[in-house]
Amino acid sequence: MTETTPTTREPDPLEFDKPRVSIRKPEHRFDSQGETPDASRVERAMNSFVRDFGRTAAVYMESCIHCGMCAEACHFYEVTQDPKYTPIWKLEPFKQAYKREYGPFAFVYRALNLKPKVTVDELQQWQHLLYDSCTVCGRCSLMCPMGIDIASLVSQARHGMFKAGLVPHELAAVTERARREGSPLGATPKVFADRCEWLSDEHDVEITIDKPRADVLCAMSSIEIMKYPESVVATARIMRHVGADWTFRLDGYEATNFGLLTGDAAAQKELTLKIVHAAVACGAKVVVLPECGHAYTALRWMGANMYGKPLPFRVLHIAEFLAEQVRTGKLRLRKLGKTVTFHDPCQLVRRGGAIEAPREVLQALGVELREMYPTKGANWCCGGGGGVVAIHRADELRHKVFKIKMEQIEETGAELPVTSCANCRQTFDDGQAHFKWDKTMHSLLELVADNLVEDAQ
Amino acid sequence: MNLLDFARGPALQWSLVIFVVGVLWRLLGVLLLRTRKDLSEPRQAAAWKGLRLIALRSWPRKEFLGGTAFGEVMGYAFHIGFLLTLFFYVPHVLFFADIARGLFGTDLHGLTGLHWPTLPNGVVTLLSAISIAALVAVLIHRIVNPVKRLISNFDDYFSWLVTIAPLATGMAAFAHLGGWPYERLLAVHLLSAELLLVWFPFGKLMHAFTIFVARGSTGMLFERKGASL
Amino acid sequence: MSSPLLGEFLRSHGVTRRDFLQFCTTTAALMGLSSAMVPRVAAALAQARRPSVIWLPFQECTGCTESITRAHGSTLESLIFQGISLDYQHTLQAAAGDAAERARETAMQENWGRYLLIVDGSIPTGNKGFSTIAGRDNLSLLQEAARGAAAIVALGSCAAFGGIPGADPNPTGAVAVSAIVKDKPIINVSGCPPIPVVITGVLTQYLTFGKLPELDALGRPRSFYGQTIHDRCYRRPFYERGQFADSFDDEGARQGWCLYKLGCRGPTTHNACATVKWNDGTSFPIEAGHGCIGCSEPGFWDKGGFYQPLSTGQWGSARTLGTAVGVGTALGVASAALARRRQKDAEGA
Repeated sequence: MTETTPTTREPDPLEFDKPRVSIRKPEHRFDSQGETPDASRVERAMNSFVRDFGRTAAVYMESCIHCGMCAEACHFYEVTQDPKYTPIWKLEPFKQAYKREYGPFAFVYRALNLKPKVTVDELQQWQHLLYDSCTVCGRCSLMCPMGIDIASLVSQARHGMFKAGLVPHELAAVTERARREGSPLGATPKVFADRCEWLSDEHDVEITIDKPRADVLCAMSSIEIMKYPESVVATARIMRHVGADWTFRLDGYEATNFGLLTGDAAAQKELTLKIVHAAVACGAKVVVLPECGHAYTALRWMGANMYGKPLPFRVLHIAEFLAEQVRTGKLRLRKLGKTVTFHDPCQLVRRGGAIEAPREVLQALGVELREMYPTKGANWCCGGGGGVVAIHRADELRHKVFKIKMEQIEETGAELPVTSCANCRQTFDDGQAHFKWDKTMHSLLELVADNLVEDAQ
Repeated sequence: MNLLDFARGPALQWSLVIFVVGVLWRLLGVLLLRTRKDLSEPRQAAAWKGLRLIALRSWPRKEFLGGTAFGEVMGYAFHIGFLLTLFFYVPHVLFFADIARGLFGTDLHGLTGLHWPTLPNGVVTLLSAISIAALVAVLIHRIVNPVKRLISNFDDYFSWLVTIAPLATGMAAFAHLGGWPYERLLAVHLLSAELLLVWFPFGKLMHAFTIFVARGSTGMLFERKGASL
Repeated sequence: MSSPLLGEFLRSHGVTRRDFLQFCTTTAALMGLSSAMVPRVAAALAQARRPSVIWLPFQECTGCTESITRAHGSTLESLIFQGISLDYQHTLQAAAGDAAERARETAMQENWGRYLLIVDGSIPTGNKGFSTIAGRDNLSLLQEAARGAAAIVALGSCAAFGGIPGADPNPTGAVAVSAIVKDKPIINVSGCPPIPVVITGVLTQYLTFGKLPELDALGRPRSFYGQTIHDRCYRRPFYERGQFADSFDDEGARQGWCLYKLGCRGPTTHNACATVKWNDGTSFPIEAGHGCIGCSEPGFWDKGGFYQPLSTGQWGSARTLGTAVGVGTALGVASAALARRRQKDAEGA
């Protein structure tokens, strides 16, 4: 499956007008990037992997006892029962590389050749395991009896894969485009500005852009801008409702960070710093992130480390922001009187720690919350996170995984499935279409915006 | 020098030296690697509270119990049987008391003022038998279960061997099995335990130490974010 | 040769047929023979010619001789001993000086190739002057006497394994008979001292069947050394129940519990003490309240304190372990440093 790779990517092989990012000619996939000889691909992967390593990851590598229990936590294993989807197995080449290149006995392993050098063929095989069949949801990290955070290791391995130029076509292309155009899905500053103007007229709401000073800087995700523009409107309505001094900024509106998903650390940093600099420029006290799981990880938990010092502002997911407004009484909501179940976005809840915030907001909406089983930290992933929803060859597998989600939701008997992540929402929409399911996933943000008590007007 | 003298003398000393050197080497070789300060604003300042994961992860969340019950039960059966036998069988206690005497010039009673309790031989025999049975069961599971078969390597099988060996030879020595003279059985038992010590730092048995660091690290990282433990 | 038959000799010394058969039964049992073999043993013994025996004592304490000659007074065992033609034993014989040595030389000449050589005591291989008899050093005496011997009995742990003279630091370079003589059959009758019945039993077996008994890996007759003291100890049930005396004056000691924790070497010592016992079958050390010290095993003097429990291993010193800690730490630090450097290199790449 080694292909000669084109030096340039012209014409762009991606289409952005479809509901999801698409490759124009699916038979022409380029799942390896650049013109690098195989040997140096491996070397780059390993160098990157080694460079990332710190104490914690090394302790993880030393601790696995091959008990296989992580398989039980993985939705990809759950639906296929195929052992290759065992989470720790997804790291096998990198475990070998660690032992050979970096562990305390590395020189013994090298001298006696106890662990063979990883080959480019192996890395290519593992691309499927590290990208197509891992949403970095971190459920396995909750299972591991040794306490290994397997998901964090997958992210590190992706760095190596990126350096080797062995990233699935779609992810490589959107990341490259995000760096070039400022948005992975074509929501360039101009497109965003146009959309905002159009939405403002259409929905009769003021959308503030590029206010020189503002307390609150809002950001959106590409998926919302391109596919769920109502979210932009909802954000604007809510900000006005709570009386926030807020703005969007064209130099930092895009919270999506494909650098994180792809394993392109430089791109990740670049994209993060855009928002950080924009926030600093307008003197924002709070950056409110959109309904996007990995954007939360990227800025809330990794942002300061990219910036090199503590961030001079708070970072809140929109659900956390809403919960705060409910608590202070600024957010007044109509009672919805419906039964609702909440799908926990992995990066926001399990790994991000914003477990109760969305539930507080739902409570304020007066709904009857019917929790799924399992729920909160142990909830099943929708199957589309970690960039998986962008990878077309993974569709079949992802749809299998999605069945778990449908069953979970059906079991609650709730009328309205709600989540707070546009990427989850996109995955649900795709799943709904595929299975001709009668349930539509709703956005918590939009639900709130639709039920504001606007007494003044 | 007969076999027992060898087992009790040079073999014991060398295996102990290798164990100490290997454990420190591997542990420090990892613990002294660089760490990066996390600059993000913690959700919960008392990240150390995440250390509770060390205890918490000793049993799976109820959501995961179904698929892992076999491994958990067998794991506990093996570890409890092995550790109780190791630390509470009368001759073993005498053996450890001698370490203290050899190193500190007084036995454990003199050192700590505590009496080390021991278990009756019948109980120890039962525990060892349970431990051996659990080990056999997990080996079969490792061979039969597709997941474990795929992810297993030499370390897994060899570590299994050196773990069951002292249990099996100890039982044989206790029961005077095989018509061998007791001193040869004792020597083989000692040698098998020494093999365990020698292999310990180099294979997955090291999890006995790293488990605390791994769980503790994850616990603190997650607690800091308020993430699910 | 005018040596009378053993049977005639015993009768002339007032031993009744009944006593003789009783002795044969006991000996056969000890040798692990069935009772059907007793008449054969008796017949063979009665018909045996008194063999010529030369007994050479080297670096020894005379304890072995005491054991045989005094312990059982005028019992059959000692009579059997008289029944052999003990042609040289410088502790026991009346002759002295040149006369004694002449007796030895004569006996050797007359029975060349047929006599039984008994050795007690170890042989110094250092300075020849360490131990001499009539001006001759032990080593050359042993070598000369061994040449004409049919077989050699190494009597006691010194002759069998080097014993106490051979214990660390072994100033005389003491060695066992087996270290010197390589071309003759050697029977090690170890113990410090050996049980008298074991000595006569071995001689009986030799006289009865005209051949050496079956030996274990250490050259000891299996019939007497096949089992450990622990195997046959009357306190064994206490061991199995985990009931141990913790000191020599505690309740456990008074109750007669197992002496394992007080250093008893029973589990690793092969001898017949627990069954044959000492002092005319009166008792044996464990019965007297003291653990076995393992005197019939090689190097028993150098196996740590007699009162350290058997499970005791030699752990090495705190210093050895301290060094190990140092080396392990150094290696750990070095490998971490190496890994950090590899990281730096990778960052540069």
